[in-house]
Amino acid sequence: MLLLLGASATHPVFDVVSPHGLNFILQNSPTPQKYLIETMPGGVGLLDYNNDGRLDIFFVNGGHVSSPMGIPENFSRHDPRYWNRLYRQNKDGSFTDVTEQAGLSKAGDGNYGMGVAVGDYDNDGYPDLYVTNYGKNILYHNNGDGTFTDVTAKAGVAAGGWSVSAGFFDYDNDGKLDLFVTRYMEWDTKHSKICGGNYHTYCPPEEFPATTSILYHNNGDGTFTDVSKSSGIAAKKGRGLGVAFADYDGDGFTDVFVANDGMQQYLFHNNGDGTFSEVGLEAGAALSQDGRRLSGMGVVFQDYDNDGRPDVIVTELPREIYGVYHNDGAGSFSYRSLETGLGLLSSGSSGWGVGLEDFDNDGWKDLFVAQGHVLDNVEQIDPSLHYLEPPLLAMNHEGRFEKVDSGDTMPWAARGAAFGDLNNDGWQDVVMTTLGGHPQVLLNRGGKAHWLVITLRGTRSNRDGFGARVQVNGQTRFATSAGSYLSANDKRLHFGLGTAEKAKVEISWPSGIHQVLNEVHADQFLEVREPEKP
Amino acid sequence: MIRALFILYLAWQAASPQAAEHMQAGLAAEKDRRFEVAIKEFDQATKLEPSLVDGFIRLGQAYMENADYGAAIAPLKHALEMSPDSLPAHQLLGYSLLSQGYASEAIPHLALLPDKTTLGIAQMQAGQLAEAVTNLRAALAAHPNDPDVLYYLGRASGLLAKQSIDTLLASYPDSARAHQAMAENYFVLRRMPDAEKEYREALKLRPGLPEAHLALGEVYAGAFQWPKAEEQFRIQAKLQPGNAEAAYRLGQALLEQGKVREARAELTRADRLMPDMPETLYSLGKAASLDGDPSAAEKAWTKLLSIEKQTSLAAQAHFGLAGIYRKQGKAAEAKQEMQAFESLQNPAGAHK
Repeated sequence: MLLLLGASATHPVFDVVSPHGLNFILQNSPTPQKYLIETMPGGVGLLDYNNDGRLDIFFVNGGHVSSPMGIPENFSRHDPRYWNRLYRQNKDGSFTDVTEQAGLSKAGDGNYGMGVAVGDYDNDGYPDLYVTNYGKNILYHNNGDGTFTDVTAKAGVAAGGWSVSAGFFDYDNDGKLDLFVTRYMEWDTKHSKICGGNYHTYCPPEEFPATTSILYHNNGDGTFTDVSKSSGIAAKKGRGLGVAFADYDGDGFTDVFVANDGMQQYLFHNNGDGTFSEVGLEAGAALSQDGRRLSGMGVVFQDYDNDGRPDVIVTELPREIYGVYHNDGAGSFSYRSLETGLGLLSSGSSGWGVGLEDFDNDGWKDLFVAQGHVLDNVEQIDPSLHYLEPPLLAMNHEGRFEKVDSGDTMPWAARGAAFGDLNNDGWQDVVMTTLGGHPQVLLNRGGKAHWLVITLRGTRSNRDGFGARVQVNGQTRFATSAGSYLSANDKRLHFGLGTAEKAKVEISWPSGIHQVLNEVHADQFLEVREPEKP
Repeated sequence: MIRALFILYLAWQAASPQAAEHMQAGLAAEKDRRFEVAIKEFDQATKLEPSLVDGFIRLGQAYMENADYGAAIAPLKHALEMSPDSLPAHQLLGYSLLSQGYASEAIPHLALLPDKTTLGIAQMQAGQLAEAVTNLRAALAAHPNDPDVLYYLGRASGLLAKQSIDTLLASYPDSARAHQAMAENYFVLRRMPDAEKEYREALKLRPGLPEAHLALGEVYAGAFQWPKAEEQFRIQAKLQPGNAEAAYRLGQALLEQGKVREARAELTRADRLMPDMPETLYSLGKAASLDGDPSAAEKAWTKLLSIEKQTSLAAQAHFGLAGIYRKQGKAAEAKQEMQAFESLQNPAGAHK
């Protein structure tokens, strides 16, 4: 029955397309110096920046790296080859590069680009952009007229050091989106090292000191306050690459999972009083089942087994297998990579961007992972590993993942991945970045199963509704654009309904308001406005 | 050795006063590590007293102490011409010849010594590998855990193995065993596709070739191809139902695929065939835990910890037990296990 509704095992799920006008190339500029930044970019964000109902795409570029780098560091970001790019989607599915007219061409010569976070931090109805860099981060305010303004200085969110993934969320439920920024390590080109024996390689993270993530509190007046120390976030140094948000213990406050590279993972429990406690170890979500440290890179914090509780999936390096931390309730997780079949699918792969999306609309969230090893010469060191890998698409059969043909069989050094419905057909699509190459746009071939896409419109809560728990016919999604690696997803909440033509929608808003919609028709894009009163 | 030198000492007491004077001066210089002076003095003594065996031995030894092994050979040989039974002369000449690369010539001299270490090294260098392994084994028995002896024994054993394989490949290049040997070589080099091809060829020529399915399974496991690994381990386990390793590997391959119940059965069988193997016990505990049987997991891991206390497997067992106790609400026990785990993970002074 499922085969009739959605993708079959014999047909690829996606068509790999090259939309007209989408000519971005991710310039990571690898050098013999093996500067670690070169193998880490770059992010992609899916957002409707002009509210025309179509998803647009923002790409973060790396920069030009000299060999060796001079001081002060200059990544030639003024050169158009190294600009970040915003592509507006046209009615016919083609794209137009609007970077310059949108005011996004100035990335800063001292910045090597990493990732992007998307959220409406000022609740004006237009999504804003936060771009992370090795260097200084940039907050672009969406002016609502097709242009953006760099408001970093006023907002006070430049951070510094090496920022990686970031995300907007409302940790104190005050209706304003706050900002979490992961940072990788204390590293700069001056203190870079080359590792390896016969073959020079990028160094493992342990070669450099750990550093702290940053939490910015939104003051509501266009400024933010760095509350990393007072909140307890800065109490834990890590090597953060990925970040995702969800309320894992159902206490009404959004928690934070940070994927750390080469060490234990961090689960920051939101205490509800403006502080966080790192509880990864005691919650059982910090290490592998064997107590081993993981090379956490990308992360997704959603419910894969439809038990209503958000689980965590972390992408990693080969021989570690992607970590599945099943949320058992009562604040406890169990490691289920083997039982879910993900161990089998990932033991030889390196994963980055990751998403749990219902690609066949059967009511179970499937897994997509952008893959490719960190080391561009890994085959010389271990012939069983590969620098270039095709992405992993694994369909979810009641909690067990099975690999299927994604349609993108070419190997890539993929990094970022963002998920959303690019062509508004009710079937989730993927945009994936590749080092030194064009992005991969994977359009879902679709099928006959029903679906529902919900846009939240917060009133008492933040306007994006981030942090809301949305349940549809026994499935649960936690509203967020964060997750994956360096990337920002379509903020709309997508649900596959299988054969169901109607749905019951329950929304627990961050404000505490609980909203129920019955008999909602399938196959529609539904905007749900938060009631003004409980 | 001491006795022999004492006899020599008595012998040169009878030499001419002038020769004895040079001998005394040479010994004094040698004691002060002025080896060039010692060489001159011993050389003078032997010129004055050409039949002074000890003079030639001392001269050779002084050359050796001065790191001039080549120059030591002539006086030592001369000493042996005069005194063929002189053990010190044989020893020093053997060392000198060996250090100069004349391993075959050194062997008859070193064979007279009670310590077989140097003889084994010389035999290894001379290509007498079987004899070298025998003598280095004897040396290891006399000097347990001596790093030099361990190294040379390992090297000689490896060369002996290689020699045997080289003979096999040269004499029977198309035999199943030759393909098996080639496969093993490729496996060590991590050239998995080549290793797979050779094992496949070996099995085609000789189905049921002992250990080949196990090894081919390891090739697939090394390339993360767990279903294929399972297939090979399963064949091996069927061919050799008493092979504990085959049962263990099969259990591991099943576990990697999330086939928990089957894995548990195989690991239980492996544990029965060869009890108290820490690796088996750890995996057995893991499989039981995944199978929702915490008491069996606890039993396996506790048993492991009664065998191993400081290893990485012990750390993993503590971590697993902490998880079990945490789920059971036994906070104190969980904390204790986590502390044990962390102490093994981060031994004092090893903080990153």
